[in-house]
Amino acid sequence: MIEVRNLVKDYGPIRALAGVSFTVQRGEVVGFLGPNGAGKTTCMKIVTGFIAATSGSVTVDGKDVVEDGVEVRRRIGYLPENAPVYPDMTVREYLAFVAGIRAIPKNDIVRRINDVAMRVGIVNVLGQEIGTLSKGYRQRTGLAQAMIHDPEILILDEPTSGLDPNQIVEIRELIHDLGRDRTVILSTHNLPEVTATCNRILLIHRGKLVADGTPASISAAHGGGNTFLVEVDRRQGAHPVADVLGRLPGVLSVLPIDRPEAVGEPLRIAASGDADLRPAIFDLAVKSGWALLEVRRERLDLESIFQRLTQS
Amino acid sequence: MRNVRTIARREFFAYFGSPVAYIAIAVFLVLLGVTFFFKIPFLLPKDDFFEAKEATLRPLFEWMVFLFTIILPAISMRLLAEERKMGTLELLLTLPLTETEVVVGKFLGALGFLGVATGLTLAYPILLAVLGHPDPGPIVGGYFGVLLIGAAYLAVGLLASAWTGSQITAFLVAIVICAFFTFVDRLPEALGLRSFEATNLLSFNAHFRSIARGVIDSRDVVFFLSVIVGAVALASHSLESRKWK
Repeated sequence: MIEVRNLVKDYGPIRALAGVSFTVQRGEVVGFLGPNGAGKTTCMKIVTGFIAATSGSVTVDGKDVVEDGVEVRRRIGYLPENAPVYPDMTVREYLAFVAGIRAIPKNDIVRRINDVAMRVGIVNVLGQEIGTLSKGYRQRTGLAQAMIHDPEILILDEPTSGLDPNQIVEIRELIHDLGRDRTVILSTHNLPEVTATCNRILLIHRGKLVADGTPASISAAHGGGNTFLVEVDRRQGAHPVADVLGRLPGVLSVLPIDRPEAVGEPLRIAASGDADLRPAIFDLAVKSGWALLEVRRERLDLESIFQRLTQS
Repeated sequence: MRNVRTIARREFFAYFGSPVAYIAIAVFLVLLGVTFFFKIPFLLPKDDFFEAKEATLRPLFEWMVFLFTIILPAISMRLLAEERKMGTLELLLTLPLTETEVVVGKFLGALGFLGVATGLTLAYPILLAVLGHPDPGPIVGGYFGVLLIGAAYLAVGLLASAWTGSQITAFLVAIVICAFFTFVDRLPEALGLRSFEATNLLSFNAHFRSIARGVIDSRDVVFFLSVIVGAVALASHSLESRKWK
């Protein structure tokens, strides 16, 4: 439903996006992840039609964001970065203003405002001027504004920035909930946020897409295979241990590794497929009479994968 | 059209929801009252209202125009510059609206302010009608001219506000442009030259005076409407071209 093709954006001499392409299907909850300045916000501003790409195109349901801007923006609810608001309006006035422009029928507006306010938890501040609200309430007001017309697509730029831990959990639950029956694209530089709310990750770095997939598929593609860490008491002597381990079915290589805190002989075992060799290693140790200090499956976590992909 | 109305309403109430509008109107009315009733040596070499014994509002309209060159840029400066500075422009322009709807709505909101400020001066013609028998032509023409020139100032101010994220810059740019085009007809005289047809054609004030005489010439009306439409269209274009930067 959203198709982004070869997006390039130059701000003067700086290239913010260097050819980004992806498609998002209906009902997907996509997390845009990347360090600050990677191009997440730029990409969202182009999809929502606030700025135009230097080259490339974005279509929503086949409609171009530049040619058919108004039509596209009708389908999108957008929370810009930092949730800008009109400080001199009350929350209710502001939501009524947006509802008016969103062409919500007059006699539905009050009901819609109350519904949305209930969902994002701002019922108690509806009559208050936005300028007097805390960051958390402003952020939620921004979210309410994005949801007022019940859009098919929600685009949220850093929806949890500036919130306290409890509010973050609430907003994540809300986004998760919203994602059940609509398309959500959110951006963040916070990894746990993506894994908690999204079923797909787009990792962006220096204006380029460096990974695209589910958390599991990304870690499979970039995680470097199936490895185990084994530490056996040093008195056994390393070589026989490594040799014996190397003869286990499924083992590709056994290499000593350098671990300053190790008291025994640490080894890294690479195995084929994704078979769990830990029971076999344990059995072998028992049979051979080794003192097994540690046996652990190594999984390169998303955090380190992202660090690797977004360095250099 | 409905969108234009929604934005215009928001702008209008934004003025009257803050002290700005009240302060501007109070200053405007007080200065206007002082200049209307009292003689101010050097600044306004005329007899005061009571000495003149003449049922005319001409000096009042002249002063209104002069005060408008300062007060209206102060009113229009926030229209787009403030949105840009606060980031709310992003909210507005990602709603299903066109740039033209945004600028026209804002222009009409500011025009509402002008209407209220001008409407409050109706006390003067009423006073005049109670005290004497004024000729209605110049009064109707004067109000029509004041509204047209005020609308032109607001359109120029809106354009200046579209160019920058700083309200002060928008204010100063608008004052300079408005003052220049208002008083350009006096420029040749000030420079010791004979008057040019061109400066009279360009001068807001010359067109205003012509209307305020009470004989409404379509050329003067067309002049102001062109300035208004031109400045609003340029503001819309300026807002649109921001996308490509």
